[in-house]
Amino acid sequence: MQHRCASTTGGIPAGGPAWHDRPVSRRAVTAAGLLAPLAALLAGCGAERSATSPRTLRVLDTYTNDPDRTVVGAALDAAAAKVGVTLERVSVGGDSLIQRVLQQGSSGTLPDILMLDNPDLQQIASTTALRPFDALGIPTDGYTDGITAAGTYDGRVYGLAPTVNTIALFYDVPALEEAGVEPPTTWDELRDAAAALTRPDRYGIAFCGAATYEGTWQYLPFFWSNGGDERRIASPEAAGALDLLADLVGQGHASTSVLNWSQADVKDQFVAGRAAMMVNGPWQIPELSAVDGLEYDVVTLPTRDPSTQEAVAPLGGEVWTVPATGDHAKEKLAAQVLTEFLADDSLLSMAEQRSTVPGRPALTEAFLGRRPEMAAFADLIQGARARTAELGPEWPTTATALYTAVQLALSGQAGAADALAEAQEYV
Amino acid sequence: MNTVRHPWLHTAAGIVVIAVLLFPIYWMVNASLQPNGATVDTSWFPLSPDLTGYRTALAEQGPNLATSLVVALGSVVLSLVIAVPAAYALAQFRLRWAGWVLFGILISQMIPGIVIANALYSAYADLGLLNSIPGLILADSTAGIPFAILICRALMQALPPAIVEAALVDGAGPVRAFVSVVLPVSRNALITAALFTFLFTWSDFLFALTLTTTEDVRPVTLGIYNYLGAYVNDWSSVMATAVLASVPAIVLLVVAQKYVAAGATGGAVK
Amino acid sequence: MTTTTAPAPARTAAPPVAPRRRARKRTHRLVTTLFLGPAVLYLVLFYGYPVVQNVVMGFQHYTISTFFTGDAPWAGLDNYREVVTSPLFRTALVNTLLFTVGSIAGQFVLGLGLALFFRRRFPLSGLLRSLVLLPWLIPLIVASAVWKWLLDTDSGALNRLLVSTGLTDTGVPWLTSTSLALVAVIAVNVWIGIPFNAVILHGGLQGIPDELYEAGALDGATRWRAFRHITWPMLRPVVSVVLVLGVVYTLKVLDIILGLTGGGPANATQTLATQSYQLSFATFDFGQGAAVSNILIVISLVFAAVYLRLNRRAVDE
Repeated sequence: MQHRCASTTGGIPAGGPAWHDRPVSRRAVTAAGLLAPLAALLAGCGAERSATSPRTLRVLDTYTNDPDRTVVGAALDAAAAKVGVTLERVSVGGDSLIQRVLQQGSSGTLPDILMLDNPDLQQIASTTALRPFDALGIPTDGYTDGITAAGTYDGRVYGLAPTVNTIALFYDVPALEEAGVEPPTTWDELRDAAAALTRPDRYGIAFCGAATYEGTWQYLPFFWSNGGDERRIASPEAAGALDLLADLVGQGHASTSVLNWSQADVKDQFVAGRAAMMVNGPWQIPELSAVDGLEYDVVTLPTRDPSTQEAVAPLGGEVWTVPATGDHAKEKLAAQVLTEFLADDSLLSMAEQRSTVPGRPALTEAFLGRRPEMAAFADLIQGARARTAELGPEWPTTATALYTAVQLALSGQAGAADALAEAQEYV
Repeated sequence: MNTVRHPWLHTAAGIVVIAVLLFPIYWMVNASLQPNGATVDTSWFPLSPDLTGYRTALAEQGPNLATSLVVALGSVVLSLVIAVPAAYALAQFRLRWAGWVLFGILISQMIPGIVIANALYSAYADLGLLNSIPGLILADSTAGIPFAILICRALMQALPPAIVEAALVDGAGPVRAFVSVVLPVSRNALITAALFTFLFTWSDFLFALTLTTTEDVRPVTLGIYNYLGAYVNDWSSVMATAVLASVPAIVLLVVAQKYVAAGATGGAVK
Repeated sequence: MTTTTAPAPARTAAPPVAPRRRARKRTHRLVTTLFLGPAVLYLVLFYGYPVVQNVVMGFQHYTISTFFTGDAPWAGLDNYREVVTSPLFRTALVNTLLFTVGSIAGQFVLGLGLALFFRRRFPLSGLLRSLVLLPWLIPLIVASAVWKWLLDTDSGALNRLLVSTGLTDTGVPWLTSTSLALVAVIAVNVWIGIPFNAVILHGGLQGIPDELYEAGALDGATRWRAFRHITWPMLRPVVSVVLVLGVVYTLKVLDIILGLTGGGPANATQTLATQSYQLSFATFDFGQGAAVSNILIVISLVFAAVYLRLNRRAVDE
């Protein structure tokens, strides 16, 4: 916007004798008086953006709530202390991170250390806004395939996740016992269990089928374990997976409100006893444990045919990156901080306190020693698949198509196969 | 202003209408008092009120409320000072190109807020206006000024030029005529414009989100956003903050509405 | 946009003395500049660049990379072609028109009703009138969350009321049925828009002198005829502002739809505004997003042109 140093509307005489001789005088005084502070403001246009000291790094992440905020903050500070720098940390809401990154990108004010949600990494990396880890000397080995795939663009690693998560099936233990139902391991068992558990005041299962990327995320385990491929979404395998979800809703074992619920809403339903099972992630564990009288357990999501199919989980979690700010000294310092941040002890302590799984399989054993109840998630993470592994920066379009298909099928607008065919058009 | 026949009947009807209209507001208060932010199966009345949300809100949102108040009032002042003379000029000066200015103002109202916010971000980053109260006042006036011009102009069109001419004949200059004759007579317009500018700014979220990067200057709408995490929503704090934030605004509204008088132009021409 | 220095010719009669006329012209010009200058300056500064940038973006391949590299290759009409031929466009257009017409009709009628109701004084009228503004006071995040709870199919207060009074058997899927979602969203938007209409129309009603009603009563006018022949004509300028601004704002409505349904279910509540937002910020095709918002602006312009036509006629009356 080219309005630097705009001057006031000058040249209006101020003061003067009686108003009938100079009819504009009083107004002129008022006008000048009001415009002066404005001019002073704009006259500050020469003011530089406050530059941070050479040993202070700026960090941007989305951990606005505890425990994440404190835990990650402590880990970052510990890493910074080891390198001998201080950190200026800003946390924004998850929805507004990308907006903020774009604004900072276009005004040249990217932070020195940037956290991104893992499916966004390849897109941002493709814009040349990030520095590759090999050039910075950050070790990149020892991570699960999913993390490496998510963090790699064009053959080079641009971001890594210290801890990751995925989704599984939570169930209400007393409810299942009462109904005489075992935790389901196949899709048929899931259908039966949901049917048996549905009562007038409670649904058998709750999941997220909203018109957001959370809806896509919850569809993916069924989609992938049945053999669906995100490069061509209108396949019989994908339709089979979608049929499962559509049947659950169609037969009344899951509320139609799944079309509108976020994962947080699903958790609320489960806690209120309005759903006997739910599909959700380990980040809910602290909340669930705090609820009196709630006895729950976790199993992996069922597959259609466990003898031939493996449970495939989508990889969730945030990656940390070093933006290309142009300040090479700071980039080196940022790289050192990240190296410390991603070191074993830092990683383990974060995983333990945040109810997420370490990104390096070598640490799983130590982790399970401290958090044995996370066993189901730890298993799933080994084979967890990155959403951007196949499509890279093209993922958002397909993700949108997938949740559109879910919405079409679950709302009864179209059968599963037709819904996917229609959604394919959007890709 | 006439009073009605059967005034108490009107009051009763009014209360019923307002109660129905404001039921969601009641629900908001109800939710703020629910234990553990119970949002599923919320009971109709908060029989065992839980003040945790209010405690959190009071402890954390005080400065934010003050910031919001300052920005909102500043925006009202700036908007009125800039918009009201302009509205009067467009309404009464018979300018040939008034239509074009109006057209421009209307077009400005059609731009999505995000577009403005993104453009302002770059400009503010360059000018050092991020995280500043004057910056927010200027930005929030983008909603108030065009709107105030349009509303005041519409309400000022009914102004009989005779009263201004009377003042001019008496020897007042155009500015003095404006200040001492037009402004008092247009009190309704000014108050309406002020009210809406205040409300626009008070509930603005977009500019608060975009134009602040640190916690220094944080309007209350952004403070609320903090309670809505990626995974967990602290609804009782959100609702409690919203309730607390409404209180100063309601007080101002009630006070301002008292001044919207009837028949303001009625006796002036005689 | 015109600058502030182009003066309007003084519409006075043939001047007796030339210098006095020139002085008056100069004064008039100064006064006009003083009164209108700051406003025009502000509008050019704060709106000029975004408007131009948005229009230009519609013609560019503006992607996420552009923010970092500044490259935005010229796309000509490609964005517009892709947007208009996409299967979503027709749905979004229809929804936008339905949403706008429904919202404006509801808001205006109910707002006018409230304004007329509160025109005359009765005990507590001042307090009740200021309470009418409350729906507009609540941040939209909070309003959409509360309405989402109220309209929930299973446990929402509205459905609980309907089921307990026997009006329906099971909860009505307000927000999750493709046929009802748009109605629900319109209703919430009406609720939010009533204060706007009510207060402005009330302000306009207060400007109508009581003498006119007294004179009408003497002539034997009934309530309805008084409304038609006194209230409505005097209210016309305010009504046209309220309607045009209402249309312009409603076309832009985004947060309430995203908060209630996210554009779903299955695009049942997808409007051009939400589509523009999702194109820009969910799939990061800013060129197409700008194209859709430009189309939206053109639709607004049609209404604005109508307003100005009506307005010119009103001034001449």
